[in-house]
Amino acid sequence: MKRSGWWWLVANSVLLATVAAAATRPQYGGTLHVTIWEAPTSLDPADATQADSFARRNLIDLIFETLVTVDDSGHVHPALAASWQAEPGDQRWQFQLRQGVHFHDGSPLTTEIVASSLRTANPSWNVLVESDSLLIECGAPDANLPSELALTRYAIVKRNNSSKLSGTGPFSIEAWQPGKQLTLRAEEDYWRGRAFVDVVEIEMGKNYSSQLMTLELGKAHLVEVAPEQAHRVSTEGRRIESSQPMELVALVYARDAHSADEKLLRNALPLSVERASMRSVLLQGAGQPTASILPNWMSGYGFVFPAATDLTRARQAREQVRALPTWSVGYDNNDPMAKLLAERVALNAKDAGLVLQPTTAAAADLRLIRIALASADPWVTLKQVAATAGVTMPKINGSSAEDLYSAEQAVLAAQRLIPLFHLPVNYAASPALKDWAPGSQGGWRLADVWLGSDKP
Amino acid sequence: MGRAIYNSAIPNATQSALTHMGMLRALFRRAPELLLFLSIVLFSLVDAAADWNLPAQQLARKIAAFTGPGTVAFTVENRSSLRTKDVERITADLRSQLELLGVHSAELERAAGSVSVFLSENAQGYVWVAEMQVGSQSGVVMVSTPRSEGSAFLHEEAGLTIHKIPLWEQEDRILDVVVLEEDSAPKHIAVLDAEKVALYRRQNTKWQQEQVLAITHVRPWPRDLRGRLVAAKDHLLDIYLPGVFCRSTTAMPLGLTCRESDDPWPLVVTSPTSFPSFGGVPSGKGSPAGPSAVVPQLGAFYAPTRNFFTGALAPGVGAVSTTAKFYSAAPVPREKYVLWLFAGVDGQIHLVDGVREQAARLGWGSDVASVRTSCGSGWQVLATGAANGGVDSVRAYELPDRDPVPVSDPQEVSGEITALWTEAKGDSAIAVARNRETGHYEAFRLVVACSQ
Repeated sequence: MKRSGWWWLVANSVLLATVAAAATRPQYGGTLHVTIWEAPTSLDPADATQADSFARRNLIDLIFETLVTVDDSGHVHPALAASWQAEPGDQRWQFQLRQGVHFHDGSPLTTEIVASSLRTANPSWNVLVESDSLLIECGAPDANLPSELALTRYAIVKRNNSSKLSGTGPFSIEAWQPGKQLTLRAEEDYWRGRAFVDVVEIEMGKNYSSQLMTLELGKAHLVEVAPEQAHRVSTEGRRIESSQPMELVALVYARDAHSADEKLLRNALPLSVERASMRSVLLQGAGQPTASILPNWMSGYGFVFPAATDLTRARQAREQVRALPTWSVGYDNNDPMAKLLAERVALNAKDAGLVLQPTTAAAADLRLIRIALASADPWVTLKQVAATAGVTMPKINGSSAEDLYSAEQAVLAAQRLIPLFHLPVNYAASPALKDWAPGSQGGWRLADVWLGSDKP
Repeated sequence: MGRAIYNSAIPNATQSALTHMGMLRALFRRAPELLLFLSIVLFSLVDAAADWNLPAQQLARKIAAFTGPGTVAFTVENRSSLRTKDVERITADLRSQLELLGVHSAELERAAGSVSVFLSENAQGYVWVAEMQVGSQSGVVMVSTPRSEGSAFLHEEAGLTIHKIPLWEQEDRILDVVVLEEDSAPKHIAVLDAEKVALYRRQNTKWQQEQVLAITHVRPWPRDLRGRLVAAKDHLLDIYLPGVFCRSTTAMPLGLTCRESDDPWPLVVTSPTSFPSFGGVPSGKGSPAGPSAVVPQLGAFYAPTRNFFTGALAPGVGAVSTTAKFYSAAPVPREKYVLWLFAGVDGQIHLVDGVREQAARLGWGSDVASVRTSCGSGWQVLATGAANGGVDSVRAYELPDRDPVPVSDPQEVSGEITALWTEAKGDSAIAVARNRETGHYEAFRLVVACSQ
């Protein structure tokens, strides 16, 4: 038996140790460190007092699960529900639950618990238990109910007497300091298979600069990156991953236009906004200027809504109005980008002869807001944005691209909303974080990631 | 209750490729360049142009309904991932459909209106939008059509000696595929996924589903689920899954019995049709180009809640009954012993010859398999690795001593390799990759062809 050649292996071990270990299977174990800017004080998916954000959705998705999920193409897939059916008319929906699923406290998933959770999340639904299935009666026909049920706020929660929440997701809560820190532990018997990492530690309330510093120091594996910083951070050699444009930056009026003059002025304002220069200067090239609610990747027709500046038409509209009001434009004082954008909108408006006054006050004629789009399902997302803008969703019978376009056109025609940009959600990740990429919708998908031996 | 909303996915075979596979199998040893040529031909068949006529017809009707008969300035702009040749076809289709409806194309100056068509797309498929202006009237109409499933499964290969022969493609994760019968091409296969094993039989050029056998299991499957299908001698199939063993009955229609089990998985699979020097059956003669060593049976215990083997071997390699935790293993027979390569969880390749164990970091991936061929030393190790663009590759190595020497170029696959198992006959391997573009799982047979 020849035994020569071991020296070669040793030499190669040293040489190849630096080669990226590719095509390797996931490894189990380790603690994954994540930082976020948001500081939610409640993990209850149905808590409407908490601001909706990608970070909060991601936290909840680690612990709780919905009946169905929507993939990046907007298709609905079973999750806690194994199957579902609609009665003719799409007003009554029946769901059959997946068998063998347990909450983190060990109790089985039952139709009673699911019904109770959904009633809390949406009191307008009539949720009934029919033997081993669940019946949801909506107030009106809703062909998109399954897609809506994929929203985080409809995640299934078991609320016990001590107000402790229990979910069925891949991680259970080990420690929770509201607004500060959350420690999660992998559930050994999770029905989709145990997560690869043992523990996830999430630090909250960290600003973007501090998050990047944490990554740099090797104290975090995954941090958020502000849209306007994404380009710079990527040129510094860091690993940046982005979702599809899933955030809508828009101006939203506080109320409907009261007069024909006000309608004319509302026509003028969007024509005055220089989205392209705002994007290149203020957003450092991030995102896409838009005049549509739905991003083009979701609708396919976003470009039909013109986003170009047209000062001539803006001035023509303005000149038809005699009495010129001063509109206050509110923005979130904690969001530096919102402040810059609001100020630039006011400057652009001035060029068209309009008067806008930026303010941090809560009450304002318009607000510059950032909407975390709800879903890859365009109908659900349009409904969400319409509700945010205070517009009633038009009744459309069909579900084609043309029907969607008509619905979006109707929401915009209400003149309550001026879309400005679609922005992606950006993250920077350590080289040690393997098999990680955010979903198109900005989801973390941390149950699938694993930690390599590389230093963070 | 009315309409059902959710249905499970329908699997798709790469039928056009299979049609030609038998011919490829028969010829590849002597004429790899012919196989290459046929692969290119196959690619062109698989990549046949999509039919754009119907959506073009629908959009033309909508345009004509708005403009009425007359002359319009007509433009088409591609804002999607459609290729130039498709854009040209669509443009021609639209023009001819509009002509049939009395809408004629003209220069803007001589036209009564304008029609600008934008070929766009969204997450579901293509969206074709027409913006129209006739006099003071403007309008927007659109149609949507699913994205074509044209797959670039085969692509032009130059100078490679590993050939990929497509077997099966489906949306659900494929754990293993076993070819149960073949003449010049596979004609009866079993496909294992997380919940079932499905049997397919080729009828002329199409695969017909023969039977689906559900897999029962009490505990949830681990992530990165793996499984092994083994054709048995006295019944059809054995199935090894984490913590579960299933055994089929013998006669059709088959039954399947599954039970919780920590029995070792076979690392060497015996072919019911008997491959001379694989699976413990002595050949008596050497292979055309290599040693005649027998590969004795070896099993390994699989961690039921993880994605690796525990390292405990049954019965062992010589005196070695335990090695490091590993993902995969490949035997390389020598004149008087068998050298085993274990792809360890620690990222190293552990070489065990029955007396001692040595570990080396070779930069290989987690999956290795060995094949016995008529080329080179007669045994090659197939090892996964990284290729450009975030996809994996497989490369063949020989170990003349202990030093792995690459003997082929890396053969890229469509995405991440999720399974690589030596086939029972020993001369080829089954690989499964998750296509980065489609997200589907593609199983193919890897065959090492000798260089001329």
